[in-house]
Amino acid sequence: MNNKHHMGLRTLNRVSNTAIYILLIIISVVWLIPFIFIVLQSFRVESTYQVGYVIPHQWGWQNYINLWNSDFKRWYLNTFIIALAAAVLVTVIQLCMSYTLSRFRFKLRGPLMRFMLILGMFPGMLTMIILYRVLSDLGLTQANAVPGLILVSVASSGMGYYVSKGFFDTIPKSLDEAARVDGATRAQVLYKIILPLSKPIVIYTILTAFMGPWGDYVFARYVAMGTSAGYNVAVGMYSWLTNDQIARMYTTFCAGGVIVAVPVTILFLCLQKYYVEGVTGGAVKG
Amino acid sequence: MKKILSIVLALAMVLSMGVFASAASELAGEYDVTVWAPEAAVSLTEQQIADFNASNELGITINATVEPVSEADAASNMDTDVSAGADLFFFAQDQLSRMIKDGAVTKLGQGAAAFVTENNSAGSVLAAQSGEDYYAYPLTADNGYFMYYDKSVIPEEDVDSLEAIIADCEAAGKNFSYELENAWYNAGVFFGTGCHSDWSTEDNTNFTLDDDFNSENGLIAAKGIYKLVSSPIYVNSSNADFASGSAVVVTGTWNYATILEQLGDNFGVADLPSFEVDGQSYHLGSYNGCKLLGVKPQEDAVKGAALNQLAQYLTGAECQIARTVEFGWGPSNNEAAADESVTSNPALTALAEQSAFSVPQPNIPGPWWDIAKVITTDIKASDGSDAALQAALQKYEDSVGAASGITLVK
Repeated sequence: MNNKHHMGLRTLNRVSNTAIYILLIIISVVWLIPFIFIVLQSFRVESTYQVGYVIPHQWGWQNYINLWNSDFKRWYLNTFIIALAAAVLVTVIQLCMSYTLSRFRFKLRGPLMRFMLILGMFPGMLTMIILYRVLSDLGLTQANAVPGLILVSVASSGMGYYVSKGFFDTIPKSLDEAARVDGATRAQVLYKIILPLSKPIVIYTILTAFMGPWGDYVFARYVAMGTSAGYNVAVGMYSWLTNDQIARMYTTFCAGGVIVAVPVTILFLCLQKYYVEGVTGGAVKG
Repeated sequence: MKKILSIVLALAMVLSMGVFASAASELAGEYDVTVWAPEAAVSLTEQQIADFNASNELGITINATVEPVSEADAASNMDTDVSAGADLFFFAQDQLSRMIKDGAVTKLGQGAAAFVTENNSAGSVLAAQSGEDYYAYPLTADNGYFMYYDKSVIPEEDVDSLEAIIADCEAAGKNFSYELENAWYNAGVFFGTGCHSDWSTEDNTNFTLDDDFNSENGLIAAKGIYKLVSSPIYVNSSNADFASGSAVVVTGTWNYATILEQLGDNFGVADLPSFEVDGQSYHLGSYNGCKLLGVKPQEDAVKGAALNQLAQYLTGAECQIARTVEFGWGPSNNEAAADESVTSNPALTALAEQSAFSVPQPNIPGPWWDIAKVITTDIKASDGSDAALQAALQKYEDSVGAASGITLVK
């Protein structure tokens, strides 16, 4: 009887596992279809317009060659420069800000945090017109859109301190004090004690700082305003989707989509390792 | 002696200056100019500007930067910042009122206005007009639609009848692409049954609409729309869909080359068909619109005048024919329209045949397009009864009546 009950449980487990796996497989297939579709379309060379089948009749690199011969190179470089600069600067500024607000006590600390909280509640879109005017007066629009967009992504980055400050708060202050007693400066405490303990949050900050400008469309379009030299990939590739262009550019657009996904995928694959390491490392020490 | 010599020399100098001045003109000089042209037309436009520099007798030299900006995007870019916008730009005519409101287009002077009215087709002249004034140069008159079809599915004798085409498509399991859930397309059905839609505006902000879509004729049009949208083969699209299962696509000249490639020997093109309601036949109508070339107001009046010279060259017969040859764009210029390259192009011929049933697209405010496209969505969701179709039209009329900036008169 007992044995039977045991078998029943195992069968039940097996059935529920099978059901869960089938569901997961279906979900991942559904999730992957658009990506596979885009990759396949980017290798289709028998025609350049949308067709009713997925597997190309003729395979080739022509769409990637077209990309290379178009303005895409420029757009890609623009986007990469903006995203990279933002990832570095935003991360540095945000972590310094968080460290300061977490570890230092100064008179205006409370009011400053409240002020930034309130400021952050205004939708960013509200500032678009005035930001455009400022950038335009500084000469940082159209062909000079790249420094302009870097400036915009970095400018208010200090205000995104919440998550990392929250994390820093959980690291015991006694660690800092011990290091200070041993003669470390404040900066050394940040670099040698806090940051190694906060890998997940550093990685998270880099990722979000990189992804923001990488996928930006609305503001990038405003700032570039019809000047191809200032486009990022999203704005540039969108310009291929107009009525008179799409039939000629559709497969090239798909190839562009694949190329755009490459650095983001690499970034995630590389950083994911550290991310997991950071999380588990913290757990063991804790 | 010295005095005499100096007077003689001075005289000689003044005279020679006079001679040079009359040889060149007050417009002579170099001008840095930004131009927005659709991506496909960038290199041709650069070439045409170079030709203008070489051929104009006024001594004008244009140093042009041609940026690829779609005609569809010109107004939204100008909305952002006119001062950073191009000096000369291609745009679709439905953006004219936004352009005027933004102060992005120059009102044409008498001479330029006469150039527009004398050389271009009536519909394209209307497109460049707001009130009594003209604000742009017509560039094409091909922004209309007609029918491409697959000859292997639709026999020649069926192309005039909507019902026969639907039956052919259903029999072959092929789709019928017609973007009726877009007011630019569904308004044509109403024009086909004798409805009208007249717009006027004084200030490009407040518009007056005189239409009778919600009428007996409108109901006939709604029945025609229902015939197609209630069929399983209906697809709401105006893309070149022949490779993805369509046998008929209602679209314009911009898809000509692609469709020719898709269909090969089975390529067919015709004006729109007729549909039948209560034993009477109605030919499907359409809008025909234009692309325009706008000149941005300039602080330097001389540069403005030079730009107008360039604009007239670019919209003249020679340049329009070159665009027809290269891209199949239909000219607005009367002389170009009679050219062999235009009359021998099957898509432009079909467009010309359809023009007997088309209405020139006037200056229409943006919100109307969003209101009117819902007519088809409502008809599609209805059961096709007279009461339900009438309700869809009534809803349209109520929505237009409630829209800000539009005054409906019947």
